[in-house]
Amino acid sequence: MLLIRLSLRNLLRQKRRNILLGSAMAIGVAILVTANSFSHGISDIMFNKIMRYVTGHVAIRFNERGGVMREIFRDKARLLEAVKGEPVIESADEAIGMFARAIGNGRSDNIVLVGVDTKKGLSEKARREVEESFRLVEGSWKDVENAAIENPVIISAEKARYLNVRRNDVIRVRFRNMFGQDQAARLTVVGIMKNDNIFMQPVVFLELPREKELLGYRPYETASLSLKIKDPQKNATALADRIHERLKPGTAVIYASAAGGAGRRPVVVLGYKSDDESKKKIAGSLKLVSGSFEKAFKKDGVIVPAGLARALGVSAGSAIGIRYARKFEKEPKEAFCHVSAVCAGSGYPGENVILMNDSGFYDLYYEDLPAGPGRGVKPYSPGENGAWSGLLAPEWVLLKRTFNTEEYRKKYQEIARNKWKGTTIDVSTMYETASDILKLESVLKIITISAVLVLFFIILLGVVNTLRMTIRERTREIGTVRAIGMQRADVRNMFILETFFLTLFSSAAGMALGFTAMRLISLLTFHPQDNPLGMLLVNGHLYFLPTFSGIAGSVLLIIAIAVITAWFPARRAANLPPAQALRHFG
Amino acid sequence: MFKIIFALLAIVIALAPGYCAGSRVIPILDAIDANYKMKKDVSAKVSLTQQRAEQGTKIIDMTYFRRDSDDAFLITMDAPENEKGNGYLRVGDNFWMYRKNTRTFQHVNRDESIGGSDAHSEDFETRKLAELYGPVVDSSGTEKFSEEMLGKVPVYRFEIKARVNDVDYPRQIFWTRRDNNLLLKQESYSLSGTLMQTAYFLKFTEIEGRFVPVKQLFIDEFEKGNKTIVEISDIVPGKLDDKIFTKAYLENLSK
Repeated sequence: MLLIRLSLRNLLRQKRRNILLGSAMAIGVAILVTANSFSHGISDIMFNKIMRYVTGHVAIRFNERGGVMREIFRDKARLLEAVKGEPVIESADEAIGMFARAIGNGRSDNIVLVGVDTKKGLSEKARREVEESFRLVEGSWKDVENAAIENPVIISAEKARYLNVRRNDVIRVRFRNMFGQDQAARLTVVGIMKNDNIFMQPVVFLELPREKELLGYRPYETASLSLKIKDPQKNATALADRIHERLKPGTAVIYASAAGGAGRRPVVVLGYKSDDESKKKIAGSLKLVSGSFEKAFKKDGVIVPAGLARALGVSAGSAIGIRYARKFEKEPKEAFCHVSAVCAGSGYPGENVILMNDSGFYDLYYEDLPAGPGRGVKPYSPGENGAWSGLLAPEWVLLKRTFNTEEYRKKYQEIARNKWKGTTIDVSTMYETASDILKLESVLKIITISAVLVLFFIILLGVVNTLRMTIRERTREIGTVRAIGMQRADVRNMFILETFFLTLFSSAAGMALGFTAMRLISLLTFHPQDNPLGMLLVNGHLYFLPTFSGIAGSVLLIIAIAVITAWFPARRAANLPPAQALRHFG
Repeated sequence: MFKIIFALLAIVIALAPGYCAGSRVIPILDAIDANYKMKKDVSAKVSLTQQRAEQGTKIIDMTYFRRDSDDAFLITMDAPENEKGNGYLRVGDNFWMYRKNTRTFQHVNRDESIGGSDAHSEDFETRKLAELYGPVVDSSGTEKFSEEMLGKVPVYRFEIKARVNDVDYPRQIFWTRRDNNLLLKQESYSLSGTLMQTAYFLKFTEIEGRFVPVKQLFIDEFEKGNKTIVEISDIVPGKLDDKIFTKAYLENLSK
């Protein structure tokens, strides 16, 4: 206690010097607090305001039949099952965006038509974030639900200006739907929004169900899924790994009945992989009875085992009628195919199995997803290690997980090269899909850390210099207190405590100064039109997000550095022999 | 752009009209398909004059080589200057885009836009018209088929709708000559029923007993003021050297 009193009294003895040093420290702390809050603000904007809307924290993407634009998964319920029961997921939204050519009043331009689900319940926080990100200057979000208006949309102020349209005007748009068909629609402007993010200016919001209908989705089909999660930096990768594990595909099977000249029989229709290697293996394991592998390996190729061919009364070249129950429709699916090859039963994957080239098979399978095996029907399995397990078409192709943009880019190049016949499913995180945005955050953090390092260096020099001067000035005093009985450790601790209190008070003042500065800077309004850095603003203002851990950590770090720096001159002072100290003149 | 060229070169109308009981539309579609599969290789010069409402006129020249026996074709760009040397090569399922500046080949995805145009890789797939489209019938089950005059030419007018969902236009109206089934006019509609494009086949030339439309006019009905005129010249049917349909050939052209 005595030491604390002595330390505090000593601080007051050299007011001018300590005030100057303290002020330098306080300004340093203020800069550190401000920079730290700005950096956290940027992170918050990146992860919760930009990534949230651009890619989601975790994304599950689909590409049917290798089509870049064909982002469709035919069984929405099954997908949602894979993401169910994950407490870290805040929301799972269908991410649908479509490039379109828009014609306004005498002007035309490109837009991105984005589906928005306004009927979905939002928390107050989420609603506030949406309203902060997309500030409506005319109309309301509820207007896009108005069934009495033809395709009501909300458009950015910049795009509305360019297309020369106002509220209630009509925009004609042309685009390709998911299957590549030309589609045209009339959109009615019901709202105009402002957004600081330049990349959001081409966006036109349309109600999600209408957008899905225009693009050709059926109610039970889904577009790619965008997941918003809690604490994305911590949870994104682990969550993506778990979902990836749950999405491992089985063999695609159609439980059907087939009709030939001799009647109808229950069959299992499977697709075989039509890459060169698989075709070679299939030709090696099957024994041809009639027809030819050349025909069987064409896009509409069909292989039937000899026993089934006899039972159905068909041979190579005959037509077979296939009928199966559909998963989502009441009426059964009817289709026809022609037998290209009849093979012996030995080595064949099943006595009642019809094999189709995966190209033709997926046409059937995806267009009308088959129902399950039905009551009393044994589910088909090729066996995990059976010869056919790697040759049969899977339900979908699950792409391997990647962990950075480079790997991700290579993966999508592979899709183009491999020409998958089935739907590819990719589970990715923001670290793969939006690394450029994350790099920007990293750069800003590096700038902050650099400023902090310079600051620490200045503080360190100041503390060392001040203590050296103090010790030199107070050498005789040290000799006196040592002569009257003060121990070495107490002398050392007294100097360290002086530094500690000086840093503590300076930090408190610095924090107050930092918060005042942040408040004042936040009042400034910027109008960064057409500037990408505008996306770092919230409502035109710089955004600071002070965190307790960030500020406390910074202050503790500064105190620790100051105390450690003070340790060495303090120890030198404490180690002075009292007689030598008393003789000191300086 | 390329979509137009390809459609143009693919449509080689037969002289003799076919006949099929029941449908009057299907025989015409079958006739188009029967002549779609070219028996010989072919090369031609193609010139496109694109007029855009806000961008003026642009002329694109290219040379086209086609061989149906292995589903191959090659397009080399001759003009404008900034495109000269670039090209597109397709052999079977593989479709590459070549850029002379970087001397690189890039795989083109099935539904990827080609060269910023409205064409996609899937537009180049040689699928039969009769498999893609069928006749439109009214409520009484009768085909929408009529006899009309297109100017002074007697024509059949009929509507067709897509049987599959991955074609550009879900519904089209054809005007074909009554005497030889030549396609003279074609209207293409979007899924919502909006007229998107009208094509006029203005001039034909006879090559080895087949009529090839050597001048066509495509009018963009959606964005008024946009139109494209396609002219084909120097059509040479006959065996093409295997080396033409290779990456090396495309690379050597730009050296």
